[in-house]
Amino acid sequence: MASLQEPWLLEKGNLKGSSKEIRHGRTAHNMSSSSLRKKSDLTLVSKVRYGMLRQFLTNLQEVILGTKLSVLFPAIPLAVVADCYGFGRPCVFALSLLGLTPLAERVSFLTEQIAYYTGPTVGGLLNATCGNATELIIAIFALGQYKIDVVKYSLLGSVLSNLLLVLGTSLFCGGIANLRKEQKYDRRQADVNSLLLLLALLCHSLPLLFRLTGASAAVTNDPTLQLSRASSIVMLITYLSYLVFQLFTHRQLFEAQEESEDDEDGLPEEAPVIGFWSGFIWLIGMTTVISLLSEYVVQTIEAASDSWGISVSFISIILLPIVGNAAEHAGAIIFAFKNKLDISLGVALGSATQISMFVVPLCVVVAWIMGINMDLNFNLLETGSLALSIIAVAFTLQDGTSHYMKGLVLLLLYIVIGTCFFVSKTPLNQVNITNSETEIAIDKIFRV
Amino acid sequence: MASLQEPLLLENGNLKGSSKEIRHGRTAQNMSSSSLRKKSDLTLLTKVRYGMLRQFLTNLQEVILGTKLSVLFPAIPFAVVADCYGFARPWVFSLSLLGLIPLAERVSFLTEQIAYYTGPTVGGLLNATCGNATELIIAIFALSQYKIDVVKYSLLGSVLSNLLLVLGTSLFCGGIANLREEQKYDRRQADVNSLLLLLALLCHSLPLLFRMAGASAAVKADPTLQLSRASSIIMLIAYLAYLLFQLFTHRQLFETQEESEDDEDGLSEEAPVIGFWSGFIWLVGMTAVISLLSEYVVQTIEDASDSWGISVSFISIILLPIVGNAAEHAGAIIFAFKNKLDISLGVALGSATQISMFVVPLCVVVAWIMGIKMDLNFNLLETGSLALTIIAVAFTLQDGTSHYMKGLVLLLLYIVIGACFFVSKTPPNQVNITNSGTKIPIDSILRA
Repeated sequence: MASLQEPWLLEKGNLKGSSKEIRHGRTAHNMSSSSLRKKSDLTLVSKVRYGMLRQFLTNLQEVILGTKLSVLFPAIPLAVVADCYGFGRPCVFALSLLGLTPLAERVSFLTEQIAYYTGPTVGGLLNATCGNATELIIAIFALGQYKIDVVKYSLLGSVLSNLLLVLGTSLFCGGIANLRKEQKYDRRQADVNSLLLLLALLCHSLPLLFRLTGASAAVTNDPTLQLSRASSIVMLITYLSYLVFQLFTHRQLFEAQEESEDDEDGLPEEAPVIGFWSGFIWLIGMTTVISLLSEYVVQTIEAASDSWGISVSFISIILLPIVGNAAEHAGAIIFAFKNKLDISLGVALGSATQISMFVVPLCVVVAWIMGINMDLNFNLLETGSLALSIIAVAFTLQDGTSHYMKGLVLLLLYIVIGTCFFVSKTPLNQVNITNSETEIAIDKIFRV
Repeated sequence: MASLQEPLLLENGNLKGSSKEIRHGRTAQNMSSSSLRKKSDLTLLTKVRYGMLRQFLTNLQEVILGTKLSVLFPAIPFAVVADCYGFARPWVFSLSLLGLIPLAERVSFLTEQIAYYTGPTVGGLLNATCGNATELIIAIFALSQYKIDVVKYSLLGSVLSNLLLVLGTSLFCGGIANLREEQKYDRRQADVNSLLLLLALLCHSLPLLFRMAGASAAVKADPTLQLSRASSIIMLIAYLAYLLFQLFTHRQLFETQEESEDDEDGLSEEAPVIGFWSGFIWLVGMTAVISLLSEYVVQTIEDASDSWGISVSFISIILLPIVGNAAEHAGAIIFAFKNKLDISLGVALGSATQISMFVVPLCVVVAWIMGIKMDLNFNLLETGSLALTIIAVAFTLQDGTSHYMKGLVLLLLYIVIGACFFVSKTPPNQVNITNSGTKIPIDSILRA
């Protein structure tokens, strides 16, 4: 399969070539968000006289109004206004979260548009790196403010939400909608992702175990950090080889089967709707707005937590990822309804793999460069939840079929984990203190 | 498949209808215990003159002498006598245990008899709730005497014994007996059960991790309890959905294939042997006797432990479940010998799922109503054993075939876990003290 596609790769320049070639740049991730898009009505804009202005307005309409989520765009200026005029900080937090929802979807749309011009391979790479841009930006801003717990919690929550909530809802809805049909998918793709997630789990468990077993916290602090940094580099290398595996050598595993019923799926448009440079400029603009909102979110998260009486861990693990993944989530469910589980699985598992194997180690490396001591030790409760989620998902996807009970159990797992973080009312500032206290206590017990 | 059966469901009233219809009410669990039954010889009774008396005696003979285990019935009056006349309490304990063995089998027989009159769906529900009535009654009696450790241990032991001992012996014996044949089963049923067991595992692990991580035990006790209660409600919801899945939407997964060699199996009698009301009265009576014996067992367990020098945890985790599951155990092995692994798996996994997803959360809810603080935190050693057991069993049942090595490894796992609890010689009275004792040092260390 892969060798057959190589000649195509060589003639990248020919963009108007076969539509199949262009489609290779789209991963399941992109296809899923595209289900939320709508054709914009250009009749109004065509009445505008001046050529430049008309082109600009068309462009604007394509980008801003091209999604069903665009009703949430007004939240962005409102968040800025709320921040400038000193409204309540929980209010800023909520508005910023709402504003991030359509932005996350639009970034994925723009990446896809740019991928039309760069050819499938570079497009695939772009998707692989920008697919979870929102999570990455939030994490880096939290890092910049030394809120390492928020970084860890939000990334962990994103993995959990993809693995349990997105996958669970998709399998459940797909199972209910296709009760009498067989729901099949290619389990080889799921296997690769499970394996990578198990590697990520090991990289998270070892620093935890290292700290729990060894000597006092002061002594293990430094080796834990070194171990985490080495593990992060290994994880990044693994992610690179995963990209090579996915985009070059075993491309056929990751191609969603869409040959048969292509046109009914609302994916008929194959031509790019905006130009390369305008897409690029839009992408930069979007990223800036995301950065602004992320900064608001990170700054106000503790105030929101205080005023709502909900712990920061619950907000970062449960609420933030639900917002960040809303567009992908909706897309995955829509494809599950159509009994196209391969795409749903690609979205949920691909996203989880990307966060755990790329965003998390990248954060550790960025923190290293910034001189911040961030390790991979996500405390006991969090690592335990992650371990059981990964094992449960790996077991769920062992045979290539699905039914609604599998989705329901995954959803219930998510609810149990959510409840667990909901009842743990530890304020953020005390987390570190109590952690070190337990470590000291454990140290004492071991020495006795 | 399921839609084909709907017309059959509508004609529930017609009990003499197709034998296939009636058989739907029987789960694998019932079929397995029925292998211990024998046709009673009614020649003697026909000589009795009076109609009423004859009917009563027939009834009595069917119920009391209908099983090969009826040799153990005399243990029941002996246990009562031993208790009244103040014999040594270990004697009362062992006699009560012996008496419980045939009672457990008879309850399953009576449930099945009643299921003939209520139709397949209600029958299935009855089986699903009364299948482990003995365990439930023992647990509730232990709960009312505030022996929460005994409740937790006996339920955990029941799950372990079903997953490792019953399943292991069945696969081992089946593998030896059918050495040259292929031993196949439907892995989809096993998958659903494994997934539910993983959910149960998460619900047990989170309270444990929650308590180990973070602040002092005094601060954590309340959230742990809330978490356990919320998890229990979620587990009960999951069990309800599982019943729906099993009895309505995916019935074909759980139907054992018995079309071909039906008559050789000793399952030929399809007509109920006792009436609905007499069955109901018998069931109430049996339950009363089980309650009496359970009370004896719970009262005398600590004395037995003292005088035999065996820890309460070993008695509750290993001995109690072996006794409670004896009938199902024998049945599962018999069906494994006949290379009908689907039934054996249905018994072992179905029973484990039922206890962990229904009996355990029900006990937590009952304790909540009674105002007792029972959480789902089964200490480290117990939860660790449970986790490894569930993962090992899920891996064992991944492909749809079996051989004796799989069974042997499961058996050996059980022996190792048994040895582990055998060597932990914590006397019963000190269990509570040491438990709280360890918590106090940790607290004091934390405060220091």
